[in-house]
Amino acid sequence: MSTDDITRDLTRRTENSPRELLTRSFFFLCAVLSIVTTVSIILMLTTEAAKFFSVTAPLMGIEGPTASVVDFFTGTEWVINNEQFGVLPLVSATLAVTIGSAVVAIPLGVATAIYLSEYASSRAQRVLKPALEVLAGVPTVVYGFFAVVYITPALKTVIPGLGTFNMLSASIVVGIMIIPMVASISEDAMSAVPDSLRQAGYGMGATKFDVSVGIVVPASLSGIFSSFILALSRAIGETMAVTVAAGSQANLLNPLNPTAYLEGALPMTAAMVNLLTGDVTGGGVAYRSLFAIGLTLFVITLIMNIISDLVAQRYREEY
Amino acid sequence: MATREDVIEDFGHVSRTAGTVFRYLLLAATLFGIVALAVLLLYVANDAIQPLTADPGWHLTFFLTLVVPTLAVSSYLFRTDPVSFRFGASIVGLLAVSTMFAGGMAMIFVDIVPPVVWFGYVLALCLSLAGVVVIERFDRQLPFLARFVAAGAIVVGAFAVVPGLVQSLPVYPTDDILLTLSFGAPIAAVVGRYAAADAGRRGRLLAIGAGVVAIGLGGVVGPLLGVTPVPATVILSLAVVPTAGYAAGIVRRHPARRSGLVLTAVVLLGAFGGAAAVDALGFAGPQSWVDWQFLTSAHSGDAINAGLYPAIGGSILLMVTVAALSFPLGVGAAVYLEEYAPDNRFTRFIDVNISNLAGVPSVVYGLLGLAVFVTYLGQPTGTVLIGGATLALLILPIVIISAREALRSVPDSMRQASYGMGATRWQTIRNVVLPRAFPGILTGTILALGRAIGETAPLIMIGAPNVLFSLPTGLSSKVSAMPLQVYAWASLFASDPFYQAAVPAGVVVLLVVLLSMNSVAIVLRNKYQSDSQ
Repeated sequence: MSTDDITRDLTRRTENSPRELLTRSFFFLCAVLSIVTTVSIILMLTTEAAKFFSVTAPLMGIEGPTASVVDFFTGTEWVINNEQFGVLPLVSATLAVTIGSAVVAIPLGVATAIYLSEYASSRAQRVLKPALEVLAGVPTVVYGFFAVVYITPALKTVIPGLGTFNMLSASIVVGIMIIPMVASISEDAMSAVPDSLRQAGYGMGATKFDVSVGIVVPASLSGIFSSFILALSRAIGETMAVTVAAGSQANLLNPLNPTAYLEGALPMTAAMVNLLTGDVTGGGVAYRSLFAIGLTLFVITLIMNIISDLVAQRYREEY
Repeated sequence: MATREDVIEDFGHVSRTAGTVFRYLLLAATLFGIVALAVLLLYVANDAIQPLTADPGWHLTFFLTLVVPTLAVSSYLFRTDPVSFRFGASIVGLLAVSTMFAGGMAMIFVDIVPPVVWFGYVLALCLSLAGVVVIERFDRQLPFLARFVAAGAIVVGAFAVVPGLVQSLPVYPTDDILLTLSFGAPIAAVVGRYAAADAGRRGRLLAIGAGVVAIGLGGVVGPLLGVTPVPATVILSLAVVPTAGYAAGIVRRHPARRSGLVLTAVVLLGAFGGAAAVDALGFAGPQSWVDWQFLTSAHSGDAINAGLYPAIGGSILLMVTVAALSFPLGVGAAVYLEEYAPDNRFTRFIDVNISNLAGVPSVVYGLLGLAVFVTYLGQPTGTVLIGGATLALLILPIVIISAREALRSVPDSMRQASYGMGATRWQTIRNVVLPRAFPGILTGTILALGRAIGETAPLIMIGAPNVLFSLPTGLSSKVSAMPLQVYAWASLFASDPFYQAAVPAGVVVLLVVLLSMNSVAIVLRNKYQSDSQ
């Protein structure tokens, strides 16, 4: 090999050689795909929902029945066959499932996080963490089946007035499903609390209980709250468990009233599934209402995710 | 500064009761979800398998042939030699999981891709790989783009011509010989290289040859045992030969673990011996709903005759499509974000965007698939392709996030060393970063795939049919999936016979597949973590 070759090889600029350019642009396109996905979700939901509302439908060139925005957001009846599209019953049912699952998941999840981060030996952690992951890995339709076939009959022996499809067992299974989410994010936050704080507590004569409750939990509060919000946003978007377990009868209920949980209702996600599994033909107003609910759901979960991000970042204690 | 006048008389009394109560409350809360799920799983397994309907003699036989010897051997091994115990148990687990996936693969070769077509594509792949290697090796002087175009032409040409040519041959060997050559041989090559890594070239060739012969014999011996040739070949190539090769490789490297194989032998002998004994003695087994009929027949309006076959096949095809789409795209995005991206506003935007996409409900992804693929691109509803594409979009953020974590765990010193040797960025990524991060990426992808095959809502949204009587035959045919079929049975056919027979059986099959995928991922992760420490 002559010296010229070596000089050429050594001084060659490789950063923009065709091979480097090709690979780099491939990787760049992969990363940009995520933005394309978001943009198309937003565009798709807004244009399709715009065809549903009577304010915007003429702009989209849609003729035929539409629904007014005011009726959609304030209506208290959801009867597709009568073309009554009031989203409030669906929102109230979603809210009920969210509150019910929060009652189950938040105490259990935080307790699990404290146990895993403060008390469990590393051996116990190695067993418990994958076991908790399994809770989140079971398909949601299976949870729905469990709710209808095992949990509801079991609860009926205690609460005789319980319907076959009810919000109570739907909330319980959704709560069990989101325990791992609360637990793992909260536990990450608790593990990030520096040991020096704990040692200081012990140095002051505090017991393990005092240290856990008085030092670790307050120090990781922002992470714990952000885990709540993320888990609840997951509960809002949860579909199959509530579709199977909560029934298909839309009714407006008061989520703060415990007796409301004894009967079935139709959360937003379940309403979407029912619209598609029912006799809805493509292109009708009922079909387009799907996208209006989808948009509502997307906006709610997006806002919750952003709030969770903000809470985690803004109020994080830097150690 | 004023002095405090507080006088501390003593340190007070510290009660340990509150702490102890608190600790056990926490433990109870931790176990609550796990125990609740375990109880529910026990119930559903009991409903699906109905172990109590079996003859007491059946239980007794298996107790004597399988349970007692296994317990005896494992407790002895566990006390004297835990490492060997773990090795033996892992061989049993590996055999069970790989046999299950081999069953799914066999289904593909029996009903979806005929072995001749598969053989044609493998041949095309081999020819185009050979062409690319020749170009790379003998024409270093050609510019990169010319080589790239030539290689592309060879690949496209081979795939356009060879499969058709193979299928138009007037005579070809039987299906199992074709599969042995095109499916078993590559697996045997990988396994043989691993098993006989230290035995020199001759030893490796011998090991590979033994593997190929074993797989080839499957087509001959299988029918004698009641298994048709194609499934026998697939099970040998995917389950038996790899497991045996792994066991042989480990024993060659760590001869002390040999005693673990006793456990494997006891379990296998006990299972087969028990089955033979039960058969000979005429004891009836449990009237399980998860039986051969359930796994191999289609939906029926009658719960007793309903089966999961089209849904299993659909789930397999969906899984393949989702993996093929989401793995390269997800890893590509992760590589860009970790290795290339400058730290600017655009990168941070992608970052936030990905974590928000991970929180978007799955129904919304279903709507996206419905609007984009069906309404705007005019695809037919409910096909394998749009189902797979929708699920791939759904798990893409999860794949990206876990792949980034794996890439981040590669120490920077390794990258610097590679740059120091004069490697370019792509060479560093290909030769240093990706191989090192691969196990972590694989773990994350398997977990994400597990999420994808459990999803129902997006499939309903894109119009996948609730009831399907035949397997999908290609990317553009309608698809059902296991969770979708379970949903259809649990809600559209909601009646006691379905609740008591078909749904529990479907749930058990679905959960067995999912849990074995999760356990593969967890075992991989543990192995990877202990290797890198």
